Amino acid sequence: MATTTTYTEKELIALLKQRDEKAFSYLYDNYSGALYSIIIQILENTELASDVLQEVFINIWRKIDTYDAAKGRLYTWMLNISRNASIDQLRSKNYQNSQKNQSIPENVDVFGGSSMMSVDSIGLKKMLEKLKMEQRVLIELAYFKGYTHEEIAEMEDIPLGTVKTRIRNALIQLRTLLQ
Amino acid sequence: MNIKEYILSGIVESYVLGLANAEDAAEFERMSAAHIEVRQAREEFELLLEKRSLENSVAPPRNIRSKIFSELQIESDRYLDENRNISTIQVEEAKSPAPVVKMNWLKWLAAASVILLLGSTALNFYFFNRYKHYSAQYDQLVARSAELAKNEQALRTSLQEYQNSLSHIRDTNMAVVRMAGSSVPTSPDPTSAATVYWDKKSKDVYLLVNNMPAPSSDLQYQLWAIVDGKPVDAGVFDMKEGVIKMKNIPRAQAFAITLEKKGGSASPTMEQMYVLGRV
Repeated sequence: MATTTTYTEKELIALLKQRDEKAFSYLYDNYSGALYSIIIQILENTELASDVLQEVFINIWRKIDTYDAAKGRLYTWMLNISRNASIDQLRSKNYQNSQKNQSIPENVDVFGGSSMMSVDSIGLKKMLEKLKMEQRVLIELAYFKGYTHEEIAEMEDIPLGTVKTRIRNALIQLRTLLQ
Repeated sequence: MNIKEYILSGIVESYVLGLANAEDAAEFERMSAAHIEVRQAREEFELLLEKRSLENSVAPPRNIRSKIFSELQIESDRYLDENRNISTIQVEEAKSPAPVVKMNWLKWLAAASVILLLGSTALNFYFFNRYKHYSAQYDQLVARSAELAKNEQALRTSLQEYQNSLSHIRDTNMAVVRMAGSSVPTSPDPTSAATVYWDKKSKDVYLLVNNMPAPSSDLQYQLWAIVDGKPVDAGVFDMKEGVIKMKNIPRAQAFAITLEKKGGSASPTMEQMYVLGRV
């Protein structure tokens, strides 16, 4: 952990593409906490989150060649890998079973605060509290549950265009909260 | 919609957070490639998101790191193997800064090697001693086996002699001439006795010493065939068990044994006649 070396984003990416383990160590030591945080916010289960984090870092190592700096920063790429992996886990039988085993009602009220792990006080979720309820629901469903706009339109019984606009507005609002 | 409006539409946040649909994402990528303002807006939000995320880090369990790196060690080796042919320079670059995890791994490997070496040396010593022990036992067994083979050969030879004797005795063509000391009034030992087995077909003569005193070393017994009243030399013999083959005698009326000088005499010493038997 006591890595004294620091890299510029360019250097780090170049080294990662060469499968440099020192660079990868640096990556883990600097970003695993941030990624673990988002995974936990989605899964609300530390055990599964650990498994997913492991999977995520192995995928980063394997897929680093597909990373395209023109499309965004390395962290954004890693964050999206983490979110996608978490949502895949969320929809897996494994996750459904683990939720049942913990005797949690199947349709957890995502806003009722009855999550297995209190994650409301961390990261983006903390910011969500400051959003209007309507916006909060949309972000929760779209970002943390991974539903598509179409699915949300159906679930909430609102037009697709409205879903898109509301989500965009919620995100603009979220951005101001982050600043 | 101008660029500024586009930037403020929420597409930037939507794209960065992975919430834009494929169509919108493709359009955004085109726009950011074409307009530096879009690119800047994206980077700005990315940096903000990254900063806040890092601030809200949650340390994962400590064991995850080693799990990942032991998995990657395998992947790394595979990757290096696969790419060795493509670019040796690249391989060396990827390999040279020995990572902490790899070092630990090597240390364990080194320690394991030392333990294995010590174990191996001890085993070698043990097995060498066992080898010496068994080797000595083997030599003993070989010697004993050779001794047994020699004894067996000796037994086989004497058995053969007995079998020969027996076959002569059993043979119905064999004339048996019993010679006794009692038949010779002047015999130095009247208890002496010997038997001649005379093959009537081949005329071969075999002698069995039944009871004769052992002669001194400078003397030898000599068998005589009496043919028409004249003694004919049938050969000298040493005292031994079993049947002794003597000279071929075509015709004879009697057999006698005298004690002569070693190697035999041309004519018998009558005073030293031990036994006599008629055919």
